[in-house]
Amino acid sequence: MTRPRVAALEPLRFDLDGGALALLEASRAIPLVSVVVALRCGSAKDPPGREGLARLALRMLRRGAEGLTAEQIDFRIDSLGAEMAVDTAASSVGIHAQVIARNTDAFFDLLARLLATPTFPDDEIERLKRESVAEIVEARDSDRVVAQKALQRTLFAGHPYGHNPGGTVRSVEAIGREDILAFYRRHVVQANLVVGIAGDAAPERAPALARQLLAGLPRGEPTADDVTEPSMSPGRRLLVVDKPERTQTQILVATMGTSPLDEDHVPLIVANAVFGGTFTSRLMKEIRSKRGWSYGASARLGVDRRRQGWVMWMFPAAQDSAPCLKLALELLEAWVAGGVTPREVSFIQRYLVRSHAFDVDTAPKRLHQAIDVELLGLPRDYFSGWIPRVSAVTPEAATAAIKNRIRPDDLLSVVVGMASQVNDALKGSIPRLADASVVPFDIE
Amino acid sequence: MRENTQRRAWQEQANARANGDGARLIYEGAEPFGVETLQRWRLGNGLTVLVLVDISAPIVAYHSWFRVGSRHERPGKTGLAHLFEHLMFGETENLGAGVFDRKLEENGAETNAATWVDWTFYHELLPSDRFKLAVKLEAERMQRLVLREPQVASEKEVVANERRYRVDDDVEGVANELLYRTAFERHPYRWPTIGWMEDIQAFTPEDCVDFYRTYYAPNNATVVVVGDVKERDLLPAIAEAYGAIPRQAIPAEDIMPEMPQLVERRLELRKPTASEKLLVAFKGPALGDADHATMTLLSEVLFGGRASRLYRTLVVERELAIETRGWVSTFRDPGLFECWNTARAAHTASEIQPVLDEAFERVRTEVVTDDELDRAKARLELGSLQQLETVSGKAEQIGFYDTVLGDPAHAFRRVDAFRRVTAGDLRRVARRYLVDATRTILHVVPERSPAPAEAAR
Repeated sequence: MTRPRVAALEPLRFDLDGGALALLEASRAIPLVSVVVALRCGSAKDPPGREGLARLALRMLRRGAEGLTAEQIDFRIDSLGAEMAVDTAASSVGIHAQVIARNTDAFFDLLARLLATPTFPDDEIERLKRESVAEIVEARDSDRVVAQKALQRTLFAGHPYGHNPGGTVRSVEAIGREDILAFYRRHVVQANLVVGIAGDAAPERAPALARQLLAGLPRGEPTADDVTEPSMSPGRRLLVVDKPERTQTQILVATMGTSPLDEDHVPLIVANAVFGGTFTSRLMKEIRSKRGWSYGASARLGVDRRRQGWVMWMFPAAQDSAPCLKLALELLEAWVAGGVTPREVSFIQRYLVRSHAFDVDTAPKRLHQAIDVELLGLPRDYFSGWIPRVSAVTPEAATAAIKNRIRPDDLLSVVVGMASQVNDALKGSIPRLADASVVPFDIE
Repeated sequence: MRENTQRRAWQEQANARANGDGARLIYEGAEPFGVETLQRWRLGNGLTVLVLVDISAPIVAYHSWFRVGSRHERPGKTGLAHLFEHLMFGETENLGAGVFDRKLEENGAETNAATWVDWTFYHELLPSDRFKLAVKLEAERMQRLVLREPQVASEKEVVANERRYRVDDDVEGVANELLYRTAFERHPYRWPTIGWMEDIQAFTPEDCVDFYRTYYAPNNATVVVVGDVKERDLLPAIAEAYGAIPRQAIPAEDIMPEMPQLVERRLELRKPTASEKLLVAFKGPALGDADHATMTLLSEVLFGGRASRLYRTLVVERELAIETRGWVSTFRDPGLFECWNTARAAHTASEIQPVLDEAFERVRTEVVTDDELDRAKARLELGSLQQLETVSGKAEQIGFYDTVLGDPAHAFRRVDAFRRVTAGDLRRVARRYLVDATRTILHVVPERSPAPAEAAR
């Protein structure tokens, strides 16, 4: 059976009456409909001491609505062949759902009701808080998650990007019904929402479906984006997160990265792909292919409304941790000092341009790109103009971006492992180390 | 009809130019894949090729499935199929070290591989105008891989590190390994696909060469191609690239069937973990057994989603657990019906066990309600559709079911089977499989760290 080719790379946009934006990416490829209802603010707006509030507030939506108990809502979602989850990031929190296409109308009716008439029952709030706390405790089993949380709170200490979107045991326990109601009244309003619909929904019906979802919400105002630009503490620091009985370490090395509005943002993405973005990148070649020290070795640039981190990641055996970190730092310094070669740039441009087809091959992927543009304040052509922008990067621009943005002297290394086994050697592997500390793994 | 006439015409042209019998193209017919159509081909050397044309995006998924996995290993050599999968990305006679990956990346392609008990598969996702690169590279490494000491030694280190990551430093990884080692006494499912650490470290290049010559043959493989590609471009390219690879005599499987389990097995594992875990695993049906779909539906009624019986009782109502989930292993031979439960910090596995037992007893004695059955069916239908959202997802479904069951469109037959299941069927499989004497119970007990969580908070 033949199917229509992708006609356009950008979803249809509709400005809804109440100030919300709707995006539609129709496709008959598979009888599924995806829907996103996202707020133009996220965990960065959580009040101090109430970290985790945005996530908790949206998770409460399926815990009670007028005429529906949490149990009835769960039963209804499952019986429609639907899934519904909350995704929380610093700049946005939203509901992400998918439903079998034949049940689209019934699911949208339900979701509209949940949005318009949440009841926030006290017992369900307490139940969700206990569940959230248990999830935080359970996440300590994952060394990678422990490393990421430690990096985030240390790299962005004192800044809203420094708190985990799920909060801490203490902050979640401190959240009360009034906090949730206040969040809902202030932020879950039409003018602060982006609705996305992708998949097997008729384009002519999409605006009506989107309007129906938000019909019960007040118009309101968009949430002000007053998050300040984060800054990096100077010097080289080492934080060892001590966890017993480890045979390897999780190593993250970070400095401040880029803002998508920086002129050298795309050149830095190109330069980073050379350094640690693919299987044949410098990091992977030296750490995995040549030495077998780590199953994975990569570097990535976070993208957000404000400057995010640039982070290297590897996970060597405990005895290889210090030499592996030392080598990674040498590779980093060589990258900053020497930049990237014309040959490397032209290779990675071919990769980035040609692989772009996999970022837009399904309707939900195209929708999520358009939503990211809205929620992260990206330039309107950030994704649609990706190929020409990547193609235009010169080796000189890529090298200049590294030198301009990556500060190898302001570096935070976070290592999860057995401190007694690795701490001294790790300290010796970081030249010009200004500060070193050890914390237990269950601090958060 | 007209399509088949055209197909025959270019097939004859290609065969007239074929370099030997191994490169001859044999069309084996079409079969429905949902509303789409899957075309089945074979080369003279035994290579099966399955093609699903899907022009929804200008990309192609190219998968190479080999009918070899950790079930074909023997004690002392565990992990060889998986180590070998890593080595397949190395040097070949015509490609230096690292060139395989570089060529794919330069053309925008993504590639990776996976190994499990019954199979190994390699996958590429390419822009559609680059599909011939995958044909060429996969054919090259099927016949001309170079296996020398330095590469094998380095890759053993990588795999050892993968094992530390996935198993040794991961409580669920260790628990899962121990569960299968205890539940199976004879069958190769008792050892982990990644292999025991001492076996990984002892492999020699000779082990790898033997394995390669034995199992990496066209008549032991299926190539699955899904995407924006024309058969008349693809098939001659495949015939040309793979046609000269000789077929091999694949050794008959020498697998000890598992004896029926007559007594419940229990064991305890101590780990530095936040909370107790409880794994309960019954002997389950093979993937090809008619009961497999029914057991999957029963698992969904018990564990699937927030409305399922055990999620509601353990996580929502009694708050004993933070996670509870079930899985019927999708193996060629009978595997396990695994039930994984993570207790909350203040609760224990001994509180969870009776709740599970009561739920199992209930499905053995009573029929589930129509609402429960319908919810489980709706959830499984959603999951089945989600697996077919991308060309890679379709290729994986086709390759998996063809390799394990010889039925590439089985994903759709499963959905049909789910629809037919009745509440009575669920009770029947519950009585057949949820038998205490056939279960293995693993209790993970936290070893408290010196700085308790409460104090450090």
